[in-house]
Amino acid sequence: MDNKIYLYDNNFIGLLNLISFLITNKIKPQNIKNLDYQPNLLDELINLNITIDKEIFKYIIKTSNKDILRILYYIYLSKYDNKELVIYYFYLNMLKYHANVIHMRNLKCVSLGLKLAHQVKDEVHKLKGFLRFQELSNKILYAKAYLNNDVLYLLSCHFKNRLPLEYWIIKDENRKMYSVYDKHNFYIVSEENFNLSTEKLSNNEKNMQDLWKEFYRTIGISERKNDKCRMNFMPKKYWKYIIEMEQDI
Amino acid sequence: MQLKEKLIILADSAKYDASCSSSGSMRKNNKGIGNAAFSGICHSFASDGRCISLLKILMTNCCIYDCKYCLNRKSNNIKRATFTPEEICAITINFYKRNYIEGLFLSSGIIKNANYTMELLIKTISLLRNKYHFNGYIHAKAILGADQMLVKKLGLLVDRLSANIELPTSDSLKLLAPNKNQNQVNDIMQYVHDHKDEKFVPSGQSTQMIIGATAESDLQIMQQSEKMYHNYSLKRVFYSAYIPINNDKLLPALKLPPLKREHRLYQADWLLRFYNFKVSDLLDLENPNFNILIDPKANWALKHLELFPKEINTASYHELLQIPGIGEKSAKRIISSRKHFKITFKDLKLMGVVLKRAKYFIICDGKYFANTNLFNKRFIESNLILEDKSPNTHNYQQLSLFNG
Ligand code: SF4
Repeated sequence: MDNKIYLYDNNFIGLLNLISFLITNKIKPQNIKNLDYQPNLLDELINLNITIDKEIFKYIIKTSNKDILRILYYIYLSKYDNKELVIYYFYLNMLKYHANVIHMRNLKCVSLGLKLAHQVKDEVHKLKGFLRFQELSNKILYAKAYLNNDVLYLLSCHFKNRLPLEYWIIKDENRKMYSVYDKHNFYIVSEENFNLSTEKLSNNEKNMQDLWKEFYRTIGISERKNDKCRMNFMPKKYWKYIIEMEQDI
Repeated sequence: MQLKEKLIILADSAKYDASCSSSGSMRKNNKGIGNAAFSGICHSFASDGRCISLLKILMTNCCIYDCKYCLNRKSNNIKRATFTPEEICAITINFYKRNYIEGLFLSSGIIKNANYTMELLIKTISLLRNKYHFNGYIHAKAILGADQMLVKKLGLLVDRLSANIELPTSDSLKLLAPNKNQNQVNDIMQYVHDHKDEKFVPSGQSTQMIIGATAESDLQIMQQSEKMYHNYSLKRVFYSAYIPINNDKLLPALKLPPLKREHRLYQADWLLRFYNFKVSDLLDLENPNFNILIDPKANWALKHLELFPKEINTASYHELLQIPGIGEKSAKRIISSRKHFKITFKDLKLMGVVLKRAKYFIICDGKYFANTNLFNKRFIESNLILEDKSPNTHNYQQLSLFNG
């Protein structure tokens, strides 16, 4: 049996370059993993150290279109264990069907890939709504969230457009990463390089949270009370970070 | 009065408005705070399961009118409060910064007269836009009877402007809201319709009808909606199950709001807007009300079984949309996929098409999902009744996500 596991630099472009190389050389990998992979006893790790060629994005767009490139990127952000293999087969079918690959939902890799991409998009959309900032004493807005998929970058893009004149920080509690925005750009940094533990909330913060909680409580119509419906749209796993839900946990 | 108490009073009196949609606007950030998200964003869900997207408040709950169904009517002895423009701006900005909301939904009781009230709304919103540089979403209610010039001014500041039709017929309106008349509503809708562009009410107008406070049939309600969609290109009609707030001999003595009926109306409304159905397909004078046990599309299909089962591989887009359980997304997927391969039941599952209800009405590559003698009205009808989703798990207001 073939136990070869091919390794790529921990980034999207590295993965695409590796996949393109494997396909060109007719190599069918057992699996593809990033450099953090913890191998099993029988795994044979292979690092080809492929040179990174930025033209690959253009090549994908030329072969299919921008949407397909975006879908591949979303799959890459997915928490799914074997997402790299899904991308490999999706890519392979893209070479065959070009932009039509998204219509080939009878192929497992396509339907699964589209599903993963959708989950990523959905998580970003939900968090655009459910993220809650708290104002710190130094006026920085700070939000924590547990991100299932790796969507910190996409979320940051949204808030960069929305709150360009504020300092803000978003923390991914799952990966222990921070996105820090300085009114020009945001930077994604790891916990070791960042410390917020001494920061207090601003004087006004509790007041505002209180106002919001009262508004939240008031706006529901008791004659229409519907926990099931609420739970459907705002699943409990998000409640921990939604301040108006704290009292209900 | 403390700000908190005001907020409670003025959110409480605004909560009966069903609309909280924040979609359809492409407003960009312009050296300030905020932008609009075209698809709309829900920030929270209230205890009744409704989406909270906007800070929905009244400027004041003082009112010179006495609409029978309304909490704020003049003859009610309730606590009254009025926000200053600065207060509204401060709460909006502070909530927005913390990502609690997409923007503001501002409505008001009528103080002094329509024009005076409208001018105050304009003052508040223009402060928010011009002093606080707020580029988030704003939905304002136009005050009936205000000058056209003021409608124009307000429309240039907001994303959505709406006037509530309140009740399905002008007779009902006359009866329950003697100070209002339907022509005033129509005038505003007409004006907004004629002037809508990317600067003026970019995300369009909507309206709301109270269901069950008056005796109209579903047919009359849907005909009113159809007319408004047609004449004024409304984005949405919201249906709001009547909640008995006031005791009045003119109002019915309901114990519970007619939520199931409201649900059916939303489903039918959906069929009008996206599925090419006409009211006359769904209801007529002999059957003027929806079947409470079965959703309007399935009910229609059961009456037209001669058109089914439909072959997934050859039915037109329009025909696919007629199949219960198949929506726009599934129909589009089917059309684009079947150019490349012949679709089987197994493929439909992989394609994410939900078969629970659709399976009774389709064949795939010549095959029915079960023995073909099960294709009969009694069998299908009883299964559909069992599977009918209650409004518990579904929320048609919510489905506005991509359709404003
Ligand atoms: S005008 Fe509006 S606020 Fe005043 S009583 Fe009528 S519905 Fe209520």
